[in-house]
Amino acid sequence: MSLFGTNTGFGSGGTGVFGTTTTDSHNPMKDVEVTSPPDDSISCLAFSPPTMPGNFLIGGSWANDVRCWEVQDNGQTVPKAQQMHTGPVLDVCWSDDGSKVFTASCDKTAKMWDLNSNQTIQIAQHEGPIRTIHWIKAPNYSCVMTGSWDKTLKFWDTRSPNPMMSLQMPERCYCADVVYPMAVVATAERGLIVYQLENQPSEFRRIESPLKHQHRCVAIFKDKQSKPTGFALGSIEGRVAIHYINPPNPAKDNFTFKCHRSNGTNTATPQDIYAVNAISFHPVHGTLATVGSDGRFSFWDKDARTKLKTSEQLDQPITACCFNNNGNIFAYASSYDWSKGHEYYNPQKKNYIFLRNAAEELKPRNKK
Amino acid sequence: MGRKKKKQMKPWCWYCNRDFDDEKILIQHQKAKHFKCHICHKKLYTGPGLAIHCMQVHKETIDGVPNAIPGRTDIELEIYGMEGIPEKDMEERRRVLEQKTQENQKKKQQDDSDEDDDDEEPGPSFQQPATTIQPQAAYAPMTQPGMAPVPAPGMPPGSYSGMPPMMPGVPPMMPGMPPVMPGMPPGMMAMSRMMPPTHGMPPMMPGMPPGIPPPMGHHPGIPHMAQAPPAATRPAVPATTVSTPQPSISKPLFPSAGQMGTRAPSTSSGSSSLDSLSASSKPLSQVQQAASGVAVSSTAPPSAAPKPTFPAYTQSSATAAANTSSAVAKPGTSVTSKPATLTTTSATSKLIHPDEDVSLEELRAQLPRYQCKIPSSGQAHITSPPVAAMGGVMPPQQGVPAQQPGVRHPMQGPYGAPPQGVPGYVPGGMPPYGQAPPMVPPYQAAPPRPAIGMRPPVMSPGGRY
Repeated sequence: MSLFGTNTGFGSGGTGVFGTTTTDSHNPMKDVEVTSPPDDSISCLAFSPPTMPGNFLIGGSWANDVRCWEVQDNGQTVPKAQQMHTGPVLDVCWSDDGSKVFTASCDKTAKMWDLNSNQTIQIAQHEGPIRTIHWIKAPNYSCVMTGSWDKTLKFWDTRSPNPMMSLQMPERCYCADVVYPMAVVATAERGLIVYQLENQPSEFRRIESPLKHQHRCVAIFKDKQSKPTGFALGSIEGRVAIHYINPPNPAKDNFTFKCHRSNGTNTATPQDIYAVNAISFHPVHGTLATVGSDGRFSFWDKDARTKLKTSEQLDQPITACCFNNNGNIFAYASSYDWSKGHEYYNPQKKNYIFLRNAAEELKPRNKK
Repeated sequence: MGRKKKKQMKPWCWYCNRDFDDEKILIQHQKAKHFKCHICHKKLYTGPGLAIHCMQVHKETIDGVPNAIPGRTDIELEIYGMEGIPEKDMEERRRVLEQKTQENQKKKQQDDSDEDDDDEEPGPSFQQPATTIQPQAAYAPMTQPGMAPVPAPGMPPGSYSGMPPMMPGVPPMMPGMPPVMPGMPPGMMAMSRMMPPTHGMPPMMPGMPPGIPPPMGHHPGIPHMAQAPPAATRPAVPATTVSTPQPSISKPLFPSAGQMGTRAPSTSSGSSSLDSLSASSKPLSQVQQAASGVAVSSTAPPSAAPKPTFPAYTQSSATAAANTSSAVAKPGTSVTSKPATLTTTSATSKLIHPDEDVSLEELRAQLPRYQCKIPSSGQAHITSPPVAAMGGVMPPQQGVPAQQPGVRHPMQGPYGAPPQGVPGYVPGGMPPYGQAPPMVPPYQAAPPRPAIGMRPPVMSPGGRY
């Protein structure tokens, strides 16, 4: 099939005419744009769990709001609802049954949003901005875990105003991930703690960081039996570490790889090293996606240790990403992440959330 | 210089004029660089073998040996290691080597006298040639015991500022090396290590010098050169070595047990560069291109030759260099246990991040525009921004009026408990709500604070948003 100069209807969402010269750098990948994006940088994205039909996307932003869109099968996005905090929203998550959304904000509170009634109630309180929020569903208990810059990790039963448990961390919480029965929290000063959640949450191990720079994002991956077995940790230095909790051969199994860096071969100019803003694992293939301050996303196969794809460069950093529950959709947000300081912040610049078909591009590479 | 044993000179590659310490390593190099099929990456043993493979398997013809210098691309010459090299080329090589040795010696004498004459220290650049030339001349005996003296000259204080503290004398340049010359035996690097400071043409490394940062991490490999393992992992060298900086930086210089192949990193994670490893899939352009670039231009010393290592790193591999430099700068600049340095900037890389100690979100959250709105007298101000934003943006919303009547905070009483957690809001929020005594403060963070249920009628949520 000839690709050039023919209207083949290529691409998703775009006009799809190959050979079109209008490359708008805000969407060079020609992915589907989500309608009514937030007015300020998007800090987090989360798709609804498989327990509820359809795909609903939640996005929290620095405009203090949390928005919900329905993503239809034809790619159309319909804004559904919105809630507010009094401070920027830093993290969001869904309950396991898909009926509630939990939101964490700089206003030091976390809220539970009942989507059916469209009501929110406050369920958590910290002494500093809450950076991470995750829903934990254990056989014998359920709760919300919040990690804050006040150096505590608290667990909340949504019915009670006092935390069920409060664990002290060595430093401010920067990112976390939960896949029962494991939770990983990365803190400031390159702290890294793994918690085990069976019976009740408790600290399992403090790990010496495999990275040499500030931790920025973390995502747990599972083994073939769908048991959490390790995590990917991203830093501000364009590097991701793949770390197994109990590998047969740590020296060989654990590794790091560089990503989100500029002009590799052009040795005349210094290489720009960008932060890895988020990591997401494909729920089916186990391959991972990373998004960075350089405005690109990349797909990787950690088992074959290869890169699967890197996108074109967007004109803004990519601040958040996530896969939907069956791995068909990859959502990523394009907005300013402060990586170049406040001078480069333009409140007028539009923020975007893009959706991309992820069914094919994230298939693992066969090991040679 | 050479060991003066094998054929009166060190094994060298006829295709690209590079020198190697050991013939085994030379052969690995040839297999990886010259006898490797560009289509399926299969490594053959000879040039003709490669030609036949391409013809039979891929139905393609090749014109010449890949990565060979002009004049040495003959695909039909059966050369394996040092065998098969035409006699006239051997002689030519010997002559060239002798010339170079003489040149170096002369230069050394010159530099020596320069130093003597000057009252002040001319600087690291001058010191280097002097000190390094000596090891050069005495290279043969020094190869192994050379490890010791090598670090000394190799540590030009000027060029590696910050590094010495890191490694016992040897900057972690190594990472840069392998990527540049996959297949180059560590010994090669050790030799060239002394080269960099030399501005001229180090006898055996035409074109190498600039691209050869002191291969510190690989020193352990040098004594073990004879061993097969490094050879076996040669193709993976770029990958393994590129990542070496990580472990080697944190460990002492010669993890002899580690070597290139086994590389037992001190940190809990073994590291290998995923980028460069992907030879079969998306190729990591940096490594391979840089490597082939150097290989091809073997005779032309890159312009970075006179400068100390940094440019060399850049040339060898941006990734490794960046890796190195950022790693290097860290130990150099931060004396504290954790690398709490500011943006790492070096000649080769730049971290696009304002401050290492604080996260981007923390920086941003400090701005006044992002301070949490206190619903004190600010009922008005709380409402306005959201209303404006929402009204304009989300017209199709169903059931989510800006006012959000649903936002209520029923748990007033209990939430009064952790008031200590919200001191920040007290000043602003308290006075107006004098009436709502203890309940209010806890809800500072919550928008409809006034409507805290203590007196819903008073602060009608209607006006909230």
